[in-house]
Amino acid sequence: MLDINPDKILIRYNVKVEDNMTADEAAEELYPTDNQIRLITKAIFEGDEDEVISCLKIAMDDGLDPLYLINEALMEGMEIVSRLYDEGIIYLPDVIISAHAMIDGIEYCKEMSNIPLEYNKGKVISFVVEGDIHDIGKTIVTILLRANGYQVIDLGRDVPVDDVVEAVKKERPLFLSGTALMTTTMHSFRQIKEKLEHEGIDVPFVCGGGAVTQDFVSHFDLGIYGEEAADVPKIAESILKGLNITQLREKFHRH
Amino acid sequence: MTKTKFTRMAYNSADDMVFGRCKKPIKTGFDLEIGSGSTIPEINYAPRPEASKSPEKLISEYDRITNDILNRMIQLGVPSVVLETEHVQDMTINAKLGSEIAHIQKTILEEFYDEYGIKCGLRHTIADIRERKNHLDLKDGRFSLLMECFDSVASKGADLLSIESIGGKEVFDYSILKNDFRGILYSIGCLGAIDVENLWLEITKIAKKYKSVPAGDTACSQANTAMFLAGGLLDKNLAHTSAAVIRGASASRSLVANEAGAIGPGKDCGYENVILKAVTGMPVSQCGKSSSCAHSDIMGNLMMQCCDMWSNESVEYHGEFGGMSVQCWGEVLAYDCSMLNAAIETGNDKILRDILMVSDRYRDPQGFILSYDNAYEIGKEITNYTDDTYMRTKKAALKCCNLLIEGSRNKLNLSRFECTNLEKLRLELKALTDDSDEFQNECLDEYTKKVRGFIPGNYF
Repeated sequence: MLDINPDKILIRYNVKVEDNMTADEAAEELYPTDNQIRLITKAIFEGDEDEVISCLKIAMDDGLDPLYLINEALMEGMEIVSRLYDEGIIYLPDVIISAHAMIDGIEYCKEMSNIPLEYNKGKVISFVVEGDIHDIGKTIVTILLRANGYQVIDLGRDVPVDDVVEAVKKERPLFLSGTALMTTTMHSFRQIKEKLEHEGIDVPFVCGGGAVTQDFVSHFDLGIYGEEAADVPKIAESILKGLNITQLREKFHRH
Repeated sequence: MTKTKFTRMAYNSADDMVFGRCKKPIKTGFDLEIGSGSTIPEINYAPRPEASKSPEKLISEYDRITNDILNRMIQLGVPSVVLETEHVQDMTINAKLGSEIAHIQKTILEEFYDEYGIKCGLRHTIADIRERKNHLDLKDGRFSLLMECFDSVASKGADLLSIESIGGKEVFDYSILKNDFRGILYSIGCLGAIDVENLWLEITKIAKKYKSVPAGDTACSQANTAMFLAGGLLDKNLAHTSAAVIRGASASRSLVANEAGAIGPGKDCGYENVILKAVTGMPVSQCGKSSSCAHSDIMGNLMMQCCDMWSNESVEYHGEFGGMSVQCWGEVLAYDCSMLNAAIETGNDKILRDILMVSDRYRDPQGFILSYDNAYEIGKEITNYTDDTYMRTKKAALKCCNLLIEGSRNKLNLSRFECTNLEKLRLELKALTDDSDEFQNECLDEYTKKVRGFIPGNYF
C-alpha cells in the first residue's frame, strides 16, 4: 500500500488555527465578576440545567429579581456561549446543551416571578416546507432562537403553504423562518411569499437548508438567506434593530 | 427471517479490493454488468422546483433529463451508464406517477441501446415517505404505500431498486444534537437495523417477482446527517471524529439490507459502502469529488478507491455553459470512470487506487476510517458479531476509535479538540454493556421518555 507524508499535500487548518486556550479557559476569562451571577453564567456555559436552577434559586433567595437574572445572568451566559461558538472554540452540541439549560432557566424565572413575566424579544414562526420532512436544521434554529430569548412558534415539518400563511396572519411574527432540503419542495417558499404579499403582509422571510441557495432566495422580495443555523439569531437581532430587507441582505448575504 | 449472515470477509485481504471489480458482480438492464471489470458512471438528478407543479410537468422533466444524459454519453463515446432517479415524494405517494416516469425513462434507455448499443440501466430510489408531521409511521399504511411503489416501478422496468430508509432517525436526530452516543448507537444498531430488515425482506420479494435487482440501502439519515453537520475543517457543528465513528458504525445498519437479500450496488451516498464491499463482495456505487454539485466532502478522491459505479449524488436540472447540468456532471463522471478503466486495462488499478486513497487518507478522520485497509478492519469486527446488530455496531464504533487513536500517533494530525472528543467517545462506548437485551431494554425506556415522536410500535 502506498503511503505519503500528508504535510506535502494538505493542511489541516483546524489543527493549525486551534487556539492554545481550552474552551473552559476561554469561558473563564469572560464570566462576570459578581460571584452569584458568575455561577449562573458558568452553569449555562456548562449546560448544567440542575445547577442553573439551583444557582437561580439561591440568587432569588438573596433578593435578586427574576427579570434581572434573565438579563444579567442567563442572557450573559448564552452570550458567552454564542461568542465562543462564533470564535470556533466550542461546537454546536455544546451550544444546544447550553440552550436547553438557558430555556429551563428562563422558565424557572418566569415561574418564580411575583408579576406575570412575559419575557420574549419577539415572536418567530419556524417551519419546514410542505413535502419535506428533514427537520434537524429547523430544530437547531428553533432551539437557538429560544435560547436567545425569542418566542418560537414551531409549526413542525411538511407544513402546507396555507397553514404557514394563516399562522403569520394570526401571530404577526417578527419574522418567518423556513427550511427545505430538497429543490423540489422549495417552490413553497415562493408560494408563501406570494400569498403573504397578496394579504399585504410585509414580514422578513428567512430561508435556509440543504438545497436552498442565496440566488434562489434573492429572487423573491421578502427573502433573506440564512446560510448557517447560527446566523438566524443574529438576523433576529438585526431585525429588532430595525434593519430592512435590503440592509439584512447586505449584512447576511455573503456570496 | 433474515436470510444471509456474513460471518467472514468476502476478501482474503484488504489489498484484494479494487475499483470496478467485485466478488459478486451483477447483470442487469441492457447488457449492463456491474463490478465485473470496469467502473460505470451513475448519474443522479433532481427536477427543477417548478417541475413539481403538475404530474405532466414532472414527467416531461424526466423525459428531457433522460434524453439529455444519453445524448451526451453517446457524444462522448461512453460504453455504459446508469441513471438514478431519486423519487420526489409525489412519485412515491402516487405510485402511478412514479411508474409512469420509470416507464418513460426505460423506454428511452431502450431506444438508445437499440440504436447505439450503449449498455445502460435505471435505478429508482423510492422516497421514504414514512415520516409524518410529528412522528415516524414505519409499519402501517405508509409501508404498504412504499411497497406498492416498489412493485409499480419494478413492473415498469426499473432495474435497480433502492431506498434511503429512515428507521431510527427520530432517536438519532435527538441524540446527535446532544452528543449522546448511547442514543446514536441505539438508533443505528437497533432501531435502524430492525427497520432495514423489515423493508428489505419485502423489497427483495418484489425484485424477485420482476427480475429487478434489490440493490441496497444507506444510513443516510444517520451517517450523512453526521457528515453534513461535521462539514468542512473549520466548521464547528460536530467533531469530525464523531462523524467518522458514526460512519464506521453505520455499516452495520446498511449491511442488514444485504442480509435481507439486497445484492448491490449499494447507494452512492452510503460512504460506508467500502466496508460493505469488504464484507459482502457485492458491487457498490460511491460519490465524492464529482458530487460537489450536491454537497462538499473532504474525501473526494478517496471515495473512488473501490467503487464499481461512480455517482454525482444529485444535481438540479438546469442550464450550465457546457450544456444541461446532468450532461456536464455526467461528463465529469464519465471521464473519471474512463480514467479508472484505463488503469484497470493497463494493470495499474492498485496503484491508482492507492493514489486516490492516500491523497485524502490524512485529510480528515472520516477519510482515514474509510481508507480501504481500515474499512476492511471495521468489516472484520462486524463479521465477528454477525448475529447481534447492537454488538457489531458497538464493536465497529470502538474499532473506529482505536484506528483513529493509532492513526493519530502516526500521520493523522488531529486537533486537541478532536483528540479529546475521541477519547471521550471511546470511554463512553467501552462503558456500554455487552448485553444486547439489557441495552435495548434500557434504551427503549429512556428514549421513549426523552424523544417526542419515538413510537416503539414502529419497531417492535
